[in-house]
Order: sequence, then C-alpha cells, then structure tokens
Amino acid sequence: MSRLMRTSELHKRPVVTMGGEDVAQIKDVVFAAGGGAVGGFALAGRGLFSGPSDCGLVWGAVAALGSDAVMIDDESVLGSSESVLDASAGSGGSGGDVMGSQALTDSGVDLGKVVDVIIEVQGPRGSQCDAIGYEIEASEALGTKGTRVLIPLPDTLAASGDHLMLPAAAKDFVSQDLAGFGAAVEAFREHLSQGR
Amino acid sequence: MRFSEATGRKLVSTTSAETVGKIDGFVVDPQRRAVVAIECKKTDSGDILLWSDIVGFGADAVTVNDAGAITEAPAGIDALLGKDHHLLGKRILSSTGDELGKVGDVEFDPESGVVKALNFAEGQIAGARLIGVGSYAVVVTPG
Repeated sequence: MSRLMRTSELHKRPVVTMGGEDVAQIKDVVFAAGGGAVGGFALAGRGLFSGPSDCGLVWGAVAALGSDAVMIDDESVLGSSESVLDASAGSGGSGGDVMGSQALTDSGVDLGKVVDVIIEVQGPRGSQCDAIGYEIEASEALGTKGTRVLIPLPDTLAASGDHLMLPAAAKDFVSQDLAGFGAAVEAFREHLSQGR
Repeated sequence: MRFSEATGRKLVSTTSAETVGKIDGFVVDPQRRAVVAIECKKTDSGDILLWSDIVGFGADAVTVNDAGAITEAPAGIDALLGKDHHLLGKRILSSTGDELGKVGDVEFDPESGVVKALNFAEGQIAGARLIGVGSYAVVVTPG
C-alpha cells in the first residue's frame, strides 16, 4: 500500500516512538538523490521542555510515515541534523531548495512556480520515499493560470535551485488533485520509458 | 471488566475487614499488555497496590490480605507510574503513524489483569495490539 502526501503537510508533524512519546517534530524535509527521494528530516523540539533542538532523522530510521505522526522505534535513532544532510549529499542530493523555482520543460516553456513537493510513501518500512511530483502554481502555458496543479516527475531530473527541468510531455499528465495523481505519474513514467 | 466501572471500587483488607482505600487508577505495562498495579486513594500508607497482592477482584470490592500491601511506588514499576502512562483519554496511534481515536475505556480480565480491549468511539481494539503507552499516545499495531 502506498500513499501520496504533500511535503508541506509534514511540517510540525510529531515524531513519536513506539513507546508513545513525542520526541520531536518535523522542521524540514531533506531531499536526497538529486531531489528524487526523501533523505530524512530536520527536526525541532516539542513543547516547553524540548530536548536538543538541532537533530535530524534519516529516512532509513523511520518506521512509518503516517498521516498523523512519524513513527520511530526509539529516541536512539535520532542523529544530528548534519548527519541527515551528509547522508543526503552522499547520495547525490543537491541540497538546493526547489520551492519557488521555475518548472521549465526541456522545450523551454515555463509551466509555473514550484510550491510543494508530492511524495509517495510505501507501506511500513518502505524502502524509499520517492518525490513523484510537484505542485506548481500554473503559468499561462497550462491554460489554467494561477491555479495550483500537480505535475508528475520523471525518475530522474535536473534541478538547480532556479530551474527544474521537465520533459515537455509532463504537461499532458497534469492533475488537479492527489486522488488521481498516482495514476497520472505512472502513466507519465510509462510514456517516458516507451519514448526511449 | 472496564476501567470506568472498577474505578472508585473499595479496597477491603481480609484480616481486619476494614476498608483500606479506593481504586483511583490503573498501571498498565504495555509490554505485558496487562494491568500490573492499581493506584489507590484514601489509604493510610502508600498509593500503589501490586496486582500480585490482590486476593480477589470482585464486583463490589477488591480484597487484599493487609493494608500493608498498599505501598509507595514499589521498585520495578515506577517507570510505568504517572499520567504519562495512563491510557484513558489518550490518543491512539497505529504504528503506521495514523491516529485512530481516543481511548474511551479499557476492558481487562479481573482474574489476570490482562488488557482485553481498548474501547474508543469508533470501535474496539484488541488488547494484544498494544505496543506502547507514552505521554503523547497509545501505540497499537495496525488492524
């Protein structure tokens, strides 16, 4: 079973141990593999007596990412925030922030501005947490200027912080909501692999 | 039996036949998925009664050999005491990170203390699914 989430929803989501203690909350999502997967999370403390505020959680230590909490086995899996950034950089992460960058097709058309990242979470202890799409504020090119639409990502992509390069076909697989988006991503990736 | 119906029940000593306290709450060990002790009030001594010191858990009273069985937090279970480890009213999280509801009541076996089920507005969760009880949530395995 997999499900799709917006990374903006993850902000402030509690990190809870299997013992039922909320030990931290998500401050930021750290992407790895060139922006194609979630590498981990930068965490903030919770409440008045929050512990070390500068800690991180690598994706491999996450037991489950649900709609209400991030589950971990126990506090010992928390590391420093640098460890998450290092681990992500080691796997090819750009470290750049995609939010606000311009989604450009390889034919040079501006599709809009990135406002959110859509990730796909596999079942418990999923092997990877893929970034499968972006939510963008549509430009004129999409015919629905100003609205927010979901656009699928290819398996690999180039992102610089200013621009995000997408195959031109991406605009044919735009969705309005998360419900039908999983299918759109699959169709899009299928389409790309056939084109090669 | 439910936590709600057992709370407030009197504790009676079998040697003196006197009421030695009242049930105020329950101490649950999530690892054993059982009630391991009872929190008492209106006692002369301490406020914890170990499950193993209970003679009988009856419909009208809980009997103990002697008022001395109720002590200050005995060793071994002090880590399970306190509000952080109470179940009632706490949110229920599945180990997949989804909130299922809030614990309304707990059903337990008055013989063994085993937690049989967690009751909440939307239904019931078998006690065997219990994984942990902490300050934030009661964690259960996914159904």
